[in-house]
Amino acid sequence: MIQYLVRRLLWAIPVLLAIMVVTFFLARAIPGGPFDFRGDKQIPETIRKNLERKYGLDLPLHQQLGRWIWDAIRFDFGPSYASRSQTVTDILKRTFPISFQLGVLALLFALCIGIPMGTIAAVKQNTIVDYGATFAAILGVSMPTMVTGPLLMWVFALILGWLPAARWGTDYTQLYLGFFPNLLSGKFWLHAILPSLTLGLAYSASIARLTRASLLQVIREDYIRTAYAKGLPGRRTVILHGLRNSLIPVATVLGPMFAGIVTGSMIVEQIFGIAGMGKYFVTSVTNRDYPMIMGAVLLYSVLLVGANLLVDVSYAWLDPRIRYD
Amino acid sequence: MKLSKLAILAVVGLMIWPAFAAPVILNRNLGTEPPTADPALGEDTTSIEIIEQMFLGLVDMDEVTMAPIPELAARWEVSADGLTWTFFMRKDVYWVKYDAKAGQVVYDLDEGGQKRPVTGNDVVYGVKRTLSPETGSNYAYVLYIIDGALEANEGTGALDDVGVGLLPIKNEKGETVGYDQYAVQFKLIAPAGYFGQIASMWVARPQPQWAIAKHGDAWIEPENIVTNGSYVMKTWVHNDNLVFVRNPYIPAALWGGGNIDEVHCVTIVEDSTEFAMYLNNELDTIDGPPLPEMDRIKTDPVLSKQLNIRPQPCTYYYGFVTTKPPMDNPDVRKALSMTIDRKTIVEQVTKGGQIPANTFAGGTIFGNAALSPEIAPWAIGVAGWDYDKAVTAAQQLLAGAGYPDGAGLEIILMHNVSEGHARIAQAIQAMWTKAFPKAKFIIETQEWGTYLKTITKETPIENVPHVYRLGWCQDYPDQNNWVHEVLNPTLGENKPRLSANDPYVGAAIARFDAVTTQAGRLSDPVERAKLYFEAEKLLIDEIVAIAPIYYYSYNIMNKPWMTRKWHDTPHWDTWSIDMALKAKG
Repeated sequence: MIQYLVRRLLWAIPVLLAIMVVTFFLARAIPGGPFDFRGDKQIPETIRKNLERKYGLDLPLHQQLGRWIWDAIRFDFGPSYASRSQTVTDILKRTFPISFQLGVLALLFALCIGIPMGTIAAVKQNTIVDYGATFAAILGVSMPTMVTGPLLMWVFALILGWLPAARWGTDYTQLYLGFFPNLLSGKFWLHAILPSLTLGLAYSASIARLTRASLLQVIREDYIRTAYAKGLPGRRTVILHGLRNSLIPVATVLGPMFAGIVTGSMIVEQIFGIAGMGKYFVTSVTNRDYPMIMGAVLLYSVLLVGANLLVDVSYAWLDPRIRYD
Repeated sequence: MKLSKLAILAVVGLMIWPAFAAPVILNRNLGTEPPTADPALGEDTTSIEIIEQMFLGLVDMDEVTMAPIPELAARWEVSADGLTWTFFMRKDVYWVKYDAKAGQVVYDLDEGGQKRPVTGNDVVYGVKRTLSPETGSNYAYVLYIIDGALEANEGTGALDDVGVGLLPIKNEKGETVGYDQYAVQFKLIAPAGYFGQIASMWVARPQPQWAIAKHGDAWIEPENIVTNGSYVMKTWVHNDNLVFVRNPYIPAALWGGGNIDEVHCVTIVEDSTEFAMYLNNELDTIDGPPLPEMDRIKTDPVLSKQLNIRPQPCTYYYGFVTTKPPMDNPDVRKALSMTIDRKTIVEQVTKGGQIPANTFAGGTIFGNAALSPEIAPWAIGVAGWDYDKAVTAAQQLLAGAGYPDGAGLEIILMHNVSEGHARIAQAIQAMWTKAFPKAKFIIETQEWGTYLKTITKETPIENVPHVYRLGWCQDYPDQNNWVHEVLNPTLGENKPRLSANDPYVGAAIARFDAVTTQAGRLSDPVERAKLYFEAEKLLIDEIVAIAPIYYYSYNIMNKPWMTRKWHDTPHWDTWSIDMALKAKG
């Protein structure tokens, strides 16, 4: 197992290096540079050249690439061109924990809603319950967060007045170990519910559908019939024997899904006014903010590699027949 | 003894009383993360709003007339030729910063432990830093009226040659014996009556050289920034919130009379979220409720009272190419301008609280004549005019010009591709067709970049449309930036192709040319305003070079406890909150 982990981690290094090189060239392949325009006014030639010299963009490409990789290894991505008073590392350090907290909570919501819904739908296949759950799942997939977000905000914050309308409930500068919120704070939870639910709902639907399909297959297997034959109660059979096995496909999508939730939460973050990193993924490209693009893509890759590794390890727990040699 | 004890108690009580009084907090949404807080780099309204609170200018602008009034400079002198402007600064303003450990605003001390006053050197440094090619300021061009500024900014000249410096002190023989640390002198390349407005701009404000040298680009972060204005930055969590606290050391004369101690800003982008927070009393004032909510707000008995519609310094207009027949006849142009039902456009088409326009420059520009009943009263339905009367008058004008009912008239109206412009163009096409049923009005569209090239005065006349649409937003709040820079026949962009040789209104165009040029060179605000009034009247009523359609607007909502004053940029130190009313909710 340890050997497997080490091997996987070592393999991650060339993968990340390749991603860095490809991103470097892709970012520069987009027409236009970071200092061409401010708003709709063109930046004068001389000023643009001055700025490019200041940020090393006048060097030959291979030198820039070498510098970028060397700096990135030391976690130094340089200043953000769009917000020159901050470095990319500052921005990621500040925003990543927030998006991570939101992502974890959203994923929890997605699982807590999706798995039971999928299970019930599978067990009661082709009944009104199944149709209802499937309908809800399709609704969840098709309703964009930019509809559910304001809708939930309107109901729970404005009409009922139970929850705050927007923003994240932690002091961004005072996180435990620079990463974790104060979990005992009521303010944190009150603020967290609406955005996490909005983000989680969208994903819970696809988890429910996957769980249902997978469980339907599993409960027709021989070992389930055996379990019933032994006289095990229905609920225990489905949950302990059936569900655990049927979660393998769910776990497989969870890895990339988590990386996607953490980095792709721009719309939810914008609706609820949360200072996460979702925004930077989009604006860094439109601003041609090369250091930010590189930092963001690298972080996403690390997250993806890490989440996939976690998923692979969890297979062994879900299905003891799986071995790593 | 009892009495003295009571007296001591009273004194102590009075001393600690302010410590117990809760600070008056304004909750404000900036609408987006400010891209910068650096006066040299600000170019968007959000950055400029926070820069305005933190940095004083040599002059400020009167909130009604937009004429320069004293701020850092107690007074100023303009030489007889209008080329030299000397600002004499007050000596009681100091650089301050927020001390996070002490939890309060403190003076910024120099190496010797002395307070640092704001001096002319800071202004000179600020102007030169803005102009330095290294800084990469995109607003540097507004300073090009200063001698040597253009060359320095382009890198062809030296910063030392820029015409800004301390006022030399001379002895009896006329030799320079020193410099007045509190007097700044600007040398201009041409007389510019609007230089007061330029001197008030953020790019010309004093900047703290020592802090910038020490921290580089990061000097605007709250732990580094040193400022001199009404409010001091306490925290800035990027993309989330900023907190500003009142500067206790600012001279009373420079404080705007408001009562707000702290301003807590958030940076919510979504206007529906902002509106929800406002309804939830999480914000005291907002700029721009969501458009789909406007109908509801206007009819709601409570919300409609909280809505304030204020002019924004931008104007939407249609321009007429005056050399392309049949648009060469001013009566045709006037008839078309008169039959635009501006009221219907703002109420039925744009719906954003815009204001029907009868002049080029709106109500927040120095020298404007907006909504004056003496200029194109038919456009705004005043002085006995309404739309029906305007249509009748326009039909007579067109018949007199040889096009009864529009017979024989074929007009091309062009706009850049956009759904909003298309809706307005279609509405106006329908109005014109209804008023002149026999005329033909054709709408053409082009992509923005192509469109801008098409409508310049260099394009061959057969390729330009008869009517083009454009909007103009101020670079600085002075008519020079409007009637002169945009429309002056010899020195402006002059897209309508005005010329003093015009067979119909040549004399009026020559006068317009002279008036707008002269007004830019005078320094007396009363005289200038008079000339600009005449220029607007000539432009809209006689030459009819453009048909102004509407002034853009801000829709501002204030909670009942909130009192806000109006400047082109918000001045928080003039705002007030009634805490007793707020506590009631």
